[in-house]
Amino acid sequence: MNPVPLQHFLVVGAILFALGAIGFMTRRNLIIMFLCAEMMLQGVALNLVAFARYRGNLQGQSFVLFIITVAACEAALALALILVLYKRKNSLDVSLWQELREESEEPTLDEEPLESPPETSAMPHLPPAGREPQKKREETSHV
Amino acid sequence: MIYRLPFFRGAELLANCDAFAPELILCAAIVLMLVLRLFASFTRVHMGYVALGSTLAALFMAVTQWTGYGQTSTPTAYQEMMQTNSLFTGLLVYDTLTVYLRIFLLAFMVMVIWLTLLTGIPDREDSADFYTLLIGSTIGMCLMASTNHLLMMFIGIEMASLPSYALAGFLKGRRRSSEAALKYVVYGGGAAGVMLYGISLLAGKFGTASLPHLAVHFATSLGQVGATGLHFDPLMILGTLFIVIGIAFKLAVVPFHFWCPDVFEGASAEVAGFLSVASKAAALALLARFALVLSGLDPNADNLPGAHWEEMRRYLIPTLAVFAIVTATFGNMAAYLQTNLKRLLAYSTIAHAGYMLMGLATVNREGTKAVLFYLVAYFLMNLGAFAIVAFLRNQTGSEDLGAFRGLVRRSPFMVVALSVCLLSLLGVPPLVGFVGKFQVFAALFDAAKGYGEKDHTLSVILYTTLVFGALNSVLSAFYYLKVMKVMILERGLEDVEGKAPTPLVMPWGDQLYAGVFSLALLGLGLYWGPLDRASAEGVERFRPEIVKAEVRPTGPPRGMTPPPGGAPTQGPGAGGGRPGGGRPGGGRPGGGGGRPGGGRPGGPGGGRPGGGPPGGGRPAPEVPENPGERPR
Repeated sequence: MNPVPLQHFLVVGAILFALGAIGFMTRRNLIIMFLCAEMMLQGVALNLVAFARYRGNLQGQSFVLFIITVAACEAALALALILVLYKRKNSLDVSLWQELREESEEPTLDEEPLESPPETSAMPHLPPAGREPQKKREETSHV
Repeated sequence: MIYRLPFFRGAELLANCDAFAPELILCAAIVLMLVLRLFASFTRVHMGYVALGSTLAALFMAVTQWTGYGQTSTPTAYQEMMQTNSLFTGLLVYDTLTVYLRIFLLAFMVMVIWLTLLTGIPDREDSADFYTLLIGSTIGMCLMASTNHLLMMFIGIEMASLPSYALAGFLKGRRRSSEAALKYVVYGGGAAGVMLYGISLLAGKFGTASLPHLAVHFATSLGQVGATGLHFDPLMILGTLFIVIGIAFKLAVVPFHFWCPDVFEGASAEVAGFLSVASKAAALALLARFALVLSGLDPNADNLPGAHWEEMRRYLIPTLAVFAIVTATFGNMAAYLQTNLKRLLAYSTIAHAGYMLMGLATVNREGTKAVLFYLVAYFLMNLGAFAIVAFLRNQTGSEDLGAFRGLVRRSPFMVVALSVCLLSLLGVPPLVGFVGKFQVFAALFDAAKGYGEKDHTLSVILYTTLVFGALNSVLSAFYYLKVMKVMILERGLEDVEGKAPTPLVMPWGDQLYAGVFSLALLGLGLYWGPLDRASAEGVERFRPEIVKAEVRPTGPPRGMTPPPGGAPTQGPGAGGGRPGGGRPGGGRPGGGGGRPGGGRPGGPGGGRPGGGPPGGGRPAPEVPENPGERPR
């Protein structure tokens, strides 16, 4: 028995997808952008599950399992990349990354930049204890 | 059809794995490389050699599959598989197109790995990571080329994309490389979401995600609407459009190309060369499959006399043709302004994607065959150009066009080799680029002539595409020749200062690599017969899975049989369109509630009111027809 008709699920799915797409295009914070991309995928997953339930087979559900797996991989990759980018500029603002563009185009200027987080020391400072390990040559010679 | 999985039989599985062997070898190579680095004795080994060896083994397997395609004396499971052409319960298809692209991608991989060994972009420490990503991406591309199911389409695209994101950002020390990876991930993630939404709409609407089944549903539902009007279902339009957007993103077709120049400029030239050819080839193969299956170029077409395959082509051809024209023109125009050589080549690849789309726009075997031929030419000339840019970068430290002024006095051999690649990209006669372009244009011309009497509009569209293709070839001459002019005619800095130019010392390996590509371009341009036959063979036995079950039309509800005359006899308003009021109240499984009123506004005679989505701006979440039926 399924008292809620299919349309309701599809509308919620469509709203989730649209919200995700809008957020994805308008937000500047890298992490929020990726959360929005995930939200788009959730809309899709809801669609598929609703259709599967409606048709009474398991194809949609198994499809969703694959989507979740792939989304996890994508999130892992994206978060690792965001970490690299954050270390470099100390900010999550996506508009700081405009080095690659057409030569004729000026970079878009930011009227109200995202506020950068308060300065903290990058690494926890540990008191010296024992002997510092000998570093290998390869470890120190990174260019 | 996932729900048939439990019925796997051992022999069937073995036969399937045999057909899937090249990919399995690549999988084993990935595991091997990741395990090997755990042992101290292997830390000094450059994993490129492991990758090269395993890719060669996979290539060998693929070639044996090509030569022995369809000939076997052994098990019945294998023969059964060859009858339906489907692997793994219909998720993948095993036809000559699959094998052709497998060989193409694997041969390409061999050349890319050779290139990376020469230029040393992944050093020994990073080599396991780099080649794992590279091979993983290739497996995804092989899946894309052999997909028969929307699920595999999604997984293939993601499997090809995710490693490419990491590859684009592989030069960790460079800001531009990280930025390229960022842009690629952001756009890629968005495009994947959009494509998935399209997949969910189509799969939900028709209750199947298998491409041949979808094609039958498409054609039959088109047939019922009648050949007169655009009574497409919004779900169908949106779903197909979103899927095409996803593929177009991978292919860097013009409205969705913005990632391409930035990523190619930021990534290393080796990675850019890999992405420009392999990712495009896989996306083109996927699009070819999608278009050909949907337009009924398969055995199903004969089984379903009521289906309207021609109608499908009437939608597909203009769409693809417009994309092709815009892409080729824009790519060529934008390339002229570039000063970074990689960025210039990136726009050139966009333009070439446009040419190949022109071949696909014919939606027939000849056009697809021309595209398969063109792909090989494109592989040689594009990877050759990117490789020479990488070699020159290693020697001069720059990829800007300005740094290559008067290069012919410093390294004449490399300049000649690069010029051969550029001339082939331009399509100058003795080189293979010309043959490829000629085949695409010839296929376009034949298709346009073939439609001449049957369908005037389609014929005009195809002729227009042909004209734009020819115009674009002229346009592209400007920037390819500009690069050659800078290298050959302009004077370098040292020359201006009155000093003797310092010759670049190119390693012999680099020269050999460049020489092999130049000779191949020239050789294939003169003796293109074998490749021509191979590409014809590649589409000749293009056979998607054969749909055995009779698929009932999706349109009319139970109890309401379509009139015997078929759809064209009905007027659009005669109730043949979407019989809204005819749905029985209890049609839904478990149907207690049903839908009050039983139908959508408009009643039996109305068809779809205004064609727009009923109420609300979002993509018409509406109930698919025939909820009780489960197409297999």
